[in-house]
Amino acid sequence: MAGRAPIPARNSALIAMIADEDTIVGFLMAGVGNVDIRRKTNYLIVDSKTTVRQIEDAFKEFSARDDIAIILLSQYIANMIRFLVDSYNKPVPAILEIPSKDHPYDPAHDSVLSRVKYLFSAESVSQR
Amino acid sequence: MAGDEGAEIYEEREESMDAAVDKETEIKTEGKEDENVLQFLDSLDGYLTLMDSVNSKLREGWFDLASARHSMGTLRINSTLLDLKYHPAASTFQVTDQEVGSLGSVPRFALSKWVSKGGGSPKGKDFSTDTDSEIGSPLSQQLRHRGVSEKPSAKDENTLAADEEIKKERAKSLSVFGGLVSPKLRGAQLSFETALETLVEIANMRASMLSAFERITEK
Repeated sequence: MAGRAPIPARNSALIAMIADEDTIVGFLMAGVGNVDIRRKTNYLIVDSKTTVRQIEDAFKEFSARDDIAIILLSQYIANMIRFLVDSYNKPVPAILEIPSKDHPYDPAHDSVLSRVKYLFSAESVSQR
Repeated sequence: MAGDEGAEIYEEREESMDAAVDKETEIKTEGKEDENVLQFLDSLDGYLTLMDSVNSKLREGWFDLASARHSMGTLRINSTLLDLKYHPAASTFQVTDQEVGSLGSVPRFALSKWVSKGGGSPKGKDFSTDTDSEIGSPLSQQLRHRGVSEKPSAKDENTLAADEEIKKERAKSLSVFGGLVSPKLRGAQLSFETALETLVEIANMRASMLSAFERITEK
């Protein structure tokens, strides 16, 4: 694409997760859990005691790291920090929103689909 | 007079040639725009289909996890048991910049599952979006034949060794929950592994969709 900086290649990159306990435990069983020397993990388990500030800080930290390829967010958690998620526009790490046990996936709230839906709106059609 | 007429004819011919070239350029541009729109719609359809697929895999995983918790007990499967000692991830990702036709450069994600980091070369399996590279020992799918059995080739031995390493890594991953675990927990592990593979495909589809979208809105 014209004017876009090339994406640096990343090997052995990680997936970061901000989700509920069962989702995190499940994906950790799949082998994506990483704990570094400073005992920092690549996941945040969100429960009733987790504050929005903690979620925001975790998201900002994960999106700034060079060793993370994908950030996985439960959609109901993404809704808590929707402004932050929607204003994120880097290609890597990729932000993926997934359903949780108690909150099914809603395409209307997906940040990627919200960004492209204007193509199908009446305003965009009238401008052509 | 004849010269003037000749010059006029020449100018008319030049104008008509320019018009033809302009028309051809316009047709090519429209063709490229249509290609971008089709690429975008295909990616959007793929994205929604894959999201549906990952949704159902996650549900299977949650259900198996709940069943395992029911049989093993709540205290044996919870986040307090997670290993917080230093350890690298067994499944990692590669991100490369790939040139894709009219879309330009698009990030491409690939997954390497169960790569053993414990000395020596990694013995895990690379997973891409190809259907050929599914997990599973090829030897187990061969029919048994009576009579002379063929000696396993070096490639088969390597595959066997890789499969053994993967089994060890899988067992290591479940070992935080105890030595003996419910088969439902193993089932949950496989469901989440499949969900992970689908998420990689979703990431690639997302990148393709956003790239096509940017191309369309550039005009």
